[in-house]
Amino acid sequence: MASPVSPINPYTPLSAAPSSSSSSNSTSLFSGYLNSFSRWRAELGLPNPGSVENLQKEVKATHLTNYAFDGGRADLTKSMSMNPLFQVTHSFTLGSQTMAPSYNFGAIYATDNVFLQGGVDHDGNVNARLNQGWSNGHVSKAQAQLSQTPGHNLLQLEQDYSGQDFNLNLKAVNPWPTDLTGIFVGSYLQSITKNLACGTEWVFQRPTPSTSELVATYLAKYTSSDRSWITTAQLQPAGILQATYWQKLSEKVDFAADLQLVATPMRRDAVATLGAKYDLRLSTFRAQLDSTGKVSALLEQRFTPTFAFLVSGEIDHLKNSAKVGVGVMIESSALSPEEMEMQMQQMQMQQLSPPQ
Amino acid sequence: MPSEDTKERIAKVVDVGRTILHYAWIPMIIYVGFTRSNPQPSLIKCVVT
Repeated sequence: MASPVSPINPYTPLSAAPSSSSSSNSTSLFSGYLNSFSRWRAELGLPNPGSVENLQKEVKATHLTNYAFDGGRADLTKSMSMNPLFQVTHSFTLGSQTMAPSYNFGAIYATDNVFLQGGVDHDGNVNARLNQGWSNGHVSKAQAQLSQTPGHNLLQLEQDYSGQDFNLNLKAVNPWPTDLTGIFVGSYLQSITKNLACGTEWVFQRPTPSTSELVATYLAKYTSSDRSWITTAQLQPAGILQATYWQKLSEKVDFAADLQLVATPMRRDAVATLGAKYDLRLSTFRAQLDSTGKVSALLEQRFTPTFAFLVSGEIDHLKNSAKVGVGVMIESSALSPEEMEMQMQQMQMQQLSPPQ
Repeated sequence: MPSEDTKERIAKVVDVGRTILHYAWIPMIIYVGFTRSNPQPSLIKCVVT
């Protein structure tokens, strides 16, 4: 492999180097090795593997476990501005057997580097999110859930660094400044080849200053060369395995399978989930089948650009129970059509001109 | 190790900070969005659809 000439040739024997102190010789030798190592690594051209949180992002978007709901629901979204995105949402849910009726007010503000989101409940619980991107691949994130009841507060601070072919993520949940209790999570994901990425995640729990526990998880992700299918695996040495497979069957159809296996001495359990998502022109339909005997479906049908209708259903065959949810989503904009045109043109111009 | 006094003070500061965040987060987002979005919307449009 041809490497360009480096200022210090690391293969010159030490005796032939100009005489100076041996420590500066060894540091220049070390930096020479470091330079050629980072050049070799850049020439490999490995893609960024994404963060550990997004390891199963495609599978989570195909399965409806995060989207299913029951009871009646209405979401009214009003967007004031597109270019620094600013949206206000009122969300009403009618009660169901599992949930009481609730009202939620949310606001989102986003620019290229900053994302602010806040929501307040009818009980006065506030949930807040802040993402700040710095210029060199660092992203700082903070998330908080604050409630009137004293025990239910949560603060999570996160720092995420995306290198050229790796991702490093550090999180702290409820860190207490004086005695450093809380939960600390560190994760690292590295591309080994153009298709394979491996990593680990370490969770260090410290509920009191004297007790602590460290749990390590090993992760692997394989993406096919044409990026049409992805398979991932997460393994904890205690005996917990989660494996997923996702494939894009066509531009309108996605398929995902998920297996969760617990094989500890205390508990042996396994759940498999198969799901598919159909993205049609005016609607999105998700269907899912579980090994616990649950069949679910979710349909989101868009009638006009401002009005969408959701139906969610789940039947549990083993327990002979069913949950049905019906919702509407109304999106209105405070901008007149001319103002919206201007904002779309501004966004397109920003995308065409190179970012600073 | 910080003294008992410092620990109590830190606990009080954290509690006050938490209360401020609880009441001021949403108004802050609305203020930032309202002043920085273009075109400038009127305040009533921010809250009522």
